[in-house]
Amino acid sequence: MVVGAQTAPADRVLQPSRKDLVAVHLPDLSTLEEGVREQLTAEQNSLAAALKNPAISNATLSEAYGKLGQVCHAYSLTAPARECYLNAMTLAPNDFRWIYLTAELDREEGHFDDAIGRFSRARSLRPDYVAVSVNLGNIFLELNRLSDAESAFAKALEIEKNNPAALYGMGQVSASNRKYAEAVRYFEQTLAQVPAANRVHYSLAMAYRELGNAEKVKTHLAQQGTVGVRVSDPLVDGLQDLITGERVYLSRGKIAFEAQRYAEAANEFRKAVAIKPDSVIARVNLGAALSQIGDLKHAAEQFEEVLRLEPGKAIAHYNLGIIRAVENKPEQAIAHLRSALSIEPNDTTARFLLAQQLNKSGNAEEALSEYARVVQSNPGNERALLEHVKLLFREGQFKQSLDALEKSHEQYPQRGQTVVLLAYLLAASPQTDLRNGTRALDLAQRVFATSSTPQYGALVALALAELGRCSEAADWQRRMIAAAEQDQNKNANLLVKLRAGLKQYESGQSCRPENETILAELFMGPS
Amino acid sequence: MRLTAAIFLIVNCCLPFVLPAQQKTNSKSPLPIFKDVAQQSGLKFQHYNGMTGKFYLPEITGSGGALFDFDNDGDLDVYLVQGTTLEPNTTPADTMFPWRNQNPPRGRLFRNELLTSGAAQRTLSFTDATDASGIVATGYGMGAAVGDINNDGLPDLYLTNLGSNQMYLNKGGGKFVDVTKESGTDDPRWTTSASFVDYDRDGWLDLMIVNYADFSVSNSPNCYSATTARDYCTPRVFRAPGNRLFHNKGNGTFEDATVSARVDKEFGHGLGVVTADFNDDGWPDIYVANDGDPNQLWINQKNGTFVNDALLAGAAVNRNGQAEAGMGVDAADFDGNGTEDVFITHLMDETNTLYVNLGQALFEDRTREAGLGMPGRRFTGFGTFFFDYDNDGWLDLFVANGAVQLLAPLVRQKDPFPLGQPNQIFRNTGKGSFVEIDAAEAGAELQLLEVSRGAVFGDVDNDGDTDVLVTNNNGPARLLLNQVGNRNHWLGLHVVGKNGRDSLGARVDVVTASGSVLRRRVRTDGSYLSANDPRLLVGLGVAKQVKSVRVRWPNGTIEEWKNVAVDRYTTLNEGAGSAPP
Repeated sequence: MVVGAQTAPADRVLQPSRKDLVAVHLPDLSTLEEGVREQLTAEQNSLAAALKNPAISNATLSEAYGKLGQVCHAYSLTAPARECYLNAMTLAPNDFRWIYLTAELDREEGHFDDAIGRFSRARSLRPDYVAVSVNLGNIFLELNRLSDAESAFAKALEIEKNNPAALYGMGQVSASNRKYAEAVRYFEQTLAQVPAANRVHYSLAMAYRELGNAEKVKTHLAQQGTVGVRVSDPLVDGLQDLITGERVYLSRGKIAFEAQRYAEAANEFRKAVAIKPDSVIARVNLGAALSQIGDLKHAAEQFEEVLRLEPGKAIAHYNLGIIRAVENKPEQAIAHLRSALSIEPNDTTARFLLAQQLNKSGNAEEALSEYARVVQSNPGNERALLEHVKLLFREGQFKQSLDALEKSHEQYPQRGQTVVLLAYLLAASPQTDLRNGTRALDLAQRVFATSSTPQYGALVALALAELGRCSEAADWQRRMIAAAEQDQNKNANLLVKLRAGLKQYESGQSCRPENETILAELFMGPS
Repeated sequence: MRLTAAIFLIVNCCLPFVLPAQQKTNSKSPLPIFKDVAQQSGLKFQHYNGMTGKFYLPEITGSGGALFDFDNDGDLDVYLVQGTTLEPNTTPADTMFPWRNQNPPRGRLFRNELLTSGAAQRTLSFTDATDASGIVATGYGMGAAVGDINNDGLPDLYLTNLGSNQMYLNKGGGKFVDVTKESGTDDPRWTTSASFVDYDRDGWLDLMIVNYADFSVSNSPNCYSATTARDYCTPRVFRAPGNRLFHNKGNGTFEDATVSARVDKEFGHGLGVVTADFNDDGWPDIYVANDGDPNQLWINQKNGTFVNDALLAGAAVNRNGQAEAGMGVDAADFDGNGTEDVFITHLMDETNTLYVNLGQALFEDRTREAGLGMPGRRFTGFGTFFFDYDNDGWLDLFVANGAVQLLAPLVRQKDPFPLGQPNQIFRNTGKGSFVEIDAAEAGAELQLLEVSRGAVFGDVDNDGDTDVLVTNNNGPARLLLNQVGNRNHWLGLHVVGKNGRDSLGARVDVVTASGSVLRRRVRTDGSYLSANDPRLLVGLGVAKQVKSVRVRWPNGTIEEWKNVAVDRYTTLNEGAGSAPP
């Protein structure tokens, strides 16, 4: 078996009926999806029948070649598509469609010189077809023929004065010519036409960067995304209508999903489901896309349907688990996550979610057990470790909590949050024999040196208090209060806690934290 | 995000670097530039990818190699990374392209037994030194990185894998010891490229590794092309696992500094990494090329941390704001303005992308202006490197190509592995642009339809021009010997720090007799899955002498050498130069 030609039957060749036509080499269809195979075979047979008809007119035969070419083109079978279009052009030399679609193939395959020739010819036949000029402009741009690109985009704008693809092209030409103010104008106009085209924000940001406008750069970079502009092109867009296979929609949906165009992805996956309603993968993907756009109800319906089709589909359980968790239905979430884990017991992400949901539903004992399993299978998962430690703490298992932190700290000494919790427990563990003020101070100072925030400063103060250095603790606390007060994003709750701590430290000899609750909530979560 | 008004004042600033007009004396040679001498020199290596027809992504991703002088005898030896089976319960003899050798596939070390008699007479031959070396690399290998981690003057070898990586300490005498566990440098995920860099300038080489995708045989879905036939998946169907930075503690161990250095903040599906001082502040920065995600430019904050500045810098995505399928990456001063520019290879239908450094690590995508747009669209690029193949003083480009999705024309021809594409060389015109060199001039081996991945660069026969070791997936390694470069004059420099090792990160300015400056960087990183010759080979064109050589050492001190001999290699030892005027 080979990858390229898995069954490798002989290719089918449609020999021409006339000398001025070329043979059409149809590829091995055996690896294609069944519906697609049938569609292509039907079109081939239709052309073969036409070729056998001695009385057929050029126009009719041209249509038959063109139709098969379009179907092949739609599935990216570019070689037979090209052969079909060439014959269609020979038979109907002035038919815009075949010239244009061949030019489109040239463009797709990087034969830019041929594409320019054919698009130019197509434009002479249909000067009103705006996509021709935009395509020409983009090719000239790619070739760095800036004045040709500018002329082509200008022609497109003569036909449609606010065509966004042409405006964007003009902006690119201007930027390449280092006329950044002009580029900004074009890009702004593009966005005015298609506000959703957030990729244009990047081009705008770069143009503003060259103009030295830092604020605008920041603003536009914050808005940049993956949606670009494209010209409306009825002929090329029409190829999509010829597609019948589920896989193509899956593939397109996947591309859109990866580009975070979730609504578009959902639309493609919906088409895949329509073609093959029992497609598990199409429904899983549709559910995932719907989840991303916030349509949890319909997403859940898709996953439920998947489970009806394939009860052991772990990903459907997992996704339903997430949806139910988001919906604040921990019991249902737990049930689905348990099912997912019964199928894929090594899925630590699902196990972590399960632990969270168990904790949320008040089942601390099982939650602890699940957290422990996650940490055991992936000691590098700091988030799971911290959740585990916090829950142990809240359950009064102070020794276990400290031991888990020590073990992790030994393995990953630079993990900041681990050090924070360790410093806290060493300074203020309710089980006082576990405390070690000197180490706590050392760790807290390391944390503060890396991130000088008021809460970490308060940790230093707490460690000083544990060592009985009350006036130093109070000094630290005052500094942190001052810093917190000056913080633009003032945290009132933190200030309350810091002031309460200061009061304790100022009280003198008894400043050592006994039942520390002031910072416990901050570091260990609500009790 | 670093954003200050000052940045914008120097956008178009260029350092005072002027190169003379191109000085080629032999613009057209009767010989092709490269000739493959792998077989005749004993470098017999066939890559094995373990494919079974189930379209697993790793089988088309590797593998790379290294050129390094492991035995310190003055010539470059070769390490070639090998694959193995992917599926459990599969033996190498049972896969689509069966492994015919009696011994199972493993990475191989070849000793260069170069014989030199007189200036022109060189006999290149390699012997397999794997068994005696102690290197046992039987995992699913990806790439190699080279750096002297214990400053003993012997280059050590780091091997990346799909699965645990391996750190091999060079003990001398051709022996290596696996110190992965003791050194704390393992990563069990899918690591691709790696780079040794002393990011905190403490004199010890640290290690940045990039990880690709959270792949396993059991989590690999079926993917399809637009034709609806089965094909390889994009990496986006797998989660990106995140990269890792190891800090060398100077005692034989490393600590995981990923979090403390803040390089965990952003990541993608990483394939390429290169380190250079992009903002010219004397501290090494890190550039990561991601497959389908925005790239990262980690700017060194000089305190052990980094900030990703790629988006603002204009080096995260192409000029249209699109993240591309970054594979290989290299950085060098191709335009002679004194700044480190970046070139990244991508998928066919995308261009390879040239990010020109305008100064202060602000970049501009000038791919099409440089003539690199169109030629890159035809192929999927991987290994790439700025190198001066003809020693005319301008850095040219090599691109190793090979598709990642089935190529319809090859499928139609019943090619059993229909991903093959030719490789490319681009000549630097000296005017900010490149011209693709035609097949006849480049050499027949570059036209072979192979699935090239790694491209490793170095002067293998010590004759004063840069040779290329190309690693092919499911194909033979090819050693492309440069046949033309040393017709021009050149300067070979071995730049050694006080710590006794190659001074990776040192910046070298060669001031020519006419006063122009050729800026180069000592490194082994760049390209794809590959480790390159740490020596510098600086083309001088017709110039028979240089005025001076200035070295900015990684610790920031600058020294100068006068009257450095041309057309030979010279070792520049830190501390042996003089203070610059």
